[in-house]
Amino acid sequence: MVNANMDTAPIISVNDTWMSFPGKTASQPVHVLERVSCEVQAGEFVCIVGPSGCGKSTLLNIIGGFLHETRGEVTVEGARVTGPDPGRIFVFQENGVFPWLTVEQNIGFGLLSRPAAERFERVNHYIAMVGLTGFEKSYPRELSGGMRQRVEIARALAADARVLYMDEPFGALDFLTRLKMRADLIRIWQAEKKTILFVTHDIEEAVQLADRVLVMTKRPATVAEEVAVNLPRPRDLDSPSYLATRDRIFTIMGMDAHGGGAGA
Amino acid sequence: MKFGRTLLFFSFGWLLLITVLHGRLNLRWFEPEKEGGGQAHKFGVGFLPVTCHLTCPVTHFINQEMAGEDLFKPMRFNGWPELKEMFIGRSHEMPASFILAPMAIALREQGVRIKIVYLGHRDGSAVMVHKDSGIFQTTDLKGKRIAVPGRYANQRLIIYRELKKAGMTLDDVTLLEMPPPDMPAALISKAVDAITSGEPFMGQTELDGYGRVLWQAKDVWPGFISCVLAVHEDAIRDQRPAIQQLVNGIAASGKWVDESMEHRMDAAKFVSTNYYNQNPRLLEFVLSKPPDRVTYSRLAPLQKDFEEIETLARETGILEGTAHFRDYVDDSFTAEASAMEAHQFEVTK
Amino acid sequence: MSESPPPTLVRRGSFAAAAFVLPGIVGLVFLAGWHLAVKVSGSDIFPTPGQVWDGLGELARQGLLFKYIVASLFRVSWGFGLAVLAGVPLGLVLGWFKPAFLALNPFIQILRPISPIAWIPVAILWFGVEDTAPVFLIFLASVFPITVSAMAAVQNMQQVYLRAAQNFGLSGIPLFRRVILPAALPQIITGVRIALGVAWLVVVAAEMIAVNSGLGYLIIDARNAGKRYDLVVAGMVMIGLIGLLLDLLVRRLEKFDEVRWGYGQR
Repeated sequence: MVNANMDTAPIISVNDTWMSFPGKTASQPVHVLERVSCEVQAGEFVCIVGPSGCGKSTLLNIIGGFLHETRGEVTVEGARVTGPDPGRIFVFQENGVFPWLTVEQNIGFGLLSRPAAERFERVNHYIAMVGLTGFEKSYPRELSGGMRQRVEIARALAADARVLYMDEPFGALDFLTRLKMRADLIRIWQAEKKTILFVTHDIEEAVQLADRVLVMTKRPATVAEEVAVNLPRPRDLDSPSYLATRDRIFTIMGMDAHGGGAGA
Repeated sequence: MKFGRTLLFFSFGWLLLITVLHGRLNLRWFEPEKEGGGQAHKFGVGFLPVTCHLTCPVTHFINQEMAGEDLFKPMRFNGWPELKEMFIGRSHEMPASFILAPMAIALREQGVRIKIVYLGHRDGSAVMVHKDSGIFQTTDLKGKRIAVPGRYANQRLIIYRELKKAGMTLDDVTLLEMPPPDMPAALISKAVDAITSGEPFMGQTELDGYGRVLWQAKDVWPGFISCVLAVHEDAIRDQRPAIQQLVNGIAASGKWVDESMEHRMDAAKFVSTNYYNQNPRLLEFVLSKPPDRVTYSRLAPLQKDFEEIETLARETGILEGTAHFRDYVDDSFTAEASAMEAHQFEVTK
Repeated sequence: MSESPPPTLVRRGSFAAAAFVLPGIVGLVFLAGWHLAVKVSGSDIFPTPGQVWDGLGELARQGLLFKYIVASLFRVSWGFGLAVLAGVPLGLVLGWFKPAFLALNPFIQILRPISPIAWIPVAILWFGVEDTAPVFLIFLASVFPITVSAMAAVQNMQQVYLRAAQNFGLSGIPLFRRVILPAALPQIITGVRIALGVAWLVVVAAEMIAVNSGLGYLIIDARNAGKRYDLVVAGMVMIGLIGLLLDLLVRRLEKFDEVRWGYGQR
């Protein structure tokens, strides 16, 4: 699935990217992203954190191909991004599971071109992986929020996506479900060797999940700092190194808040 | 998709079922065609369920009984606008129709190429008031509300003619246009003070005991004409024998109806049941009380009758006066028709 | 949106009986009031419920009642069926392609408020007086509500479904069939339900044209038939009852799993 030459070249590469939206008046566009550059390696789990509304979702949507950058260059898997791609599936903040399809129909959605036997096998494999065995024939409205989120992740995995873009996927879940979903996601990621780019405003979540955390500034946003999280998994949430990494990101964002105020 | 398949299955099943049922019950599908071909090949003649058009169903019925086939296809309408639209808009299907005389003249003035070839009846109209009302003569109508069938109805002209005799004008009354079937209800609820239209709707108020005749058309305007048979010029040119046959049939039927009270009662019965869908008592009443309430014998179109209609219609402003007797009447069918004897026909009992 | 147990319907049983008993009581009170009102007013023209019942019996014995119901259902089925076939695809296209919407929407909004009664002359001129003309009128009355609801359904569709579909590489006809249509379906069905009500509503007007069968014809014919207002009211009663049945039937559509998500939790 992952090409040999991808081991060296980054799978995602964002190069000096700018993004503006039309403002209330045509002469004053709203600058959302400024001079953003970053890279993600194949198989890496990268989190993007930043203050609410800073533009991290916008960045993910540009990389995912749903928005087009104003200036700059975004390259994924060696090609300029021009639109969404079935090999790179987006998991949405507002649940994107189709409510008119059953759990198994949803998970098999990206597999319709495959032979029936293979489709059946893959669907069942991923239903088991996300722990939804017994709910194959259920409709999303019959499931809880966390179960629906797992359906969406399974749908992305079943379609054989090499890259998952996740936009605050656990934002709407309650605390316990969120903890469980994080553990499940790490387990699946380790088993499947996918590349995951994960947007969240929750610093703890980022440190629990990521190999590397990109910390963004307030709007117009840019990457303030990259923090590598060199902690063994499963992570001990009471260990000093975990807390140190977390506090470091807090500091970066806190300083950024002061610095942003002074600079304006 | 379960939803899609269920929906498709039921929709098509239902459409098939209802179409077959409708064809079987209302369109006479799956029945062997009658000898001499179906009605589809015959030209249509429009009529309303009123006594002014009685000769249309009578001719059709007697012809069917005697010759065993249809002379034409009687097309029953429920109101003037629909009848007129069909007549002027789809003349290939319905080249002939019974129609109000002033309406036929007005259509001619507006450039519709139709000709009046025969009359439908004479007399057969009345002005009715509520039996409790204090209206006993024309002058009592001052300031009252009178329902008339429409702008081009001859009943409008008869009101105007009577008011003029009494030294009044149409400004002394309020005229309301109303479909004749609604008039009895309007009179009983006293929504209007007087009503006038063709029979049987006037007779109905008398029969039901709340209407009183102010005057009968035959008494104040002898030989009163309300409706005529009009035919498109194309049909006169292309289907002359068939039109002549129709006019002859109407002449013979009219004479047959007027021949005896027994014939009138027979006609009341078979027309009510087969064509009008009314209680036969109603037609029996208006065809007999009195016997000359409506007559069907002198049906040749005469110039002096139409000139009077023209004058009155011009004075009340419904006609411009640009079309004259020779423009809108073709009496070339009259001679042969008027020579017809009454049908030699008795209803088998 | 939090982790909550799947909703279940527990209120059913106790309400099922009430759903029949309560309207039954209201119906009886209405009939009694109607009967009394006719008696007290001494009206000779307006029929009592008993007379209407007798009128229905008379029609049923003559075989006319069934014939007329079939005729009206036939015209409504075809007029309405064609309206669905034309209106849903048209609405989907208009909701999806902005230029088509800009070009056609004003005309639809102009045609929409014109009563089918105003179209009667046109219907006669184009289609004569057989079944085609009333079918055309019923089609006209129902096609606009369907088109407009399908159009709005696509325009109001949650963007996340569209993005998810595009992410899986869908476009063109498969995108329409697999995502846009199912996403719009609940709202389309609501529009279709309203349109069926309208289609049935105009059956009287549509049958004012010289057809010689149907419940609308029954009413108009009864007015021609002298003092037969019992048959007029009988026609009204049948139209009302069949309208109720049709609505119950379309409501069944909303119970399908594929669309139930669109109607909230009931």
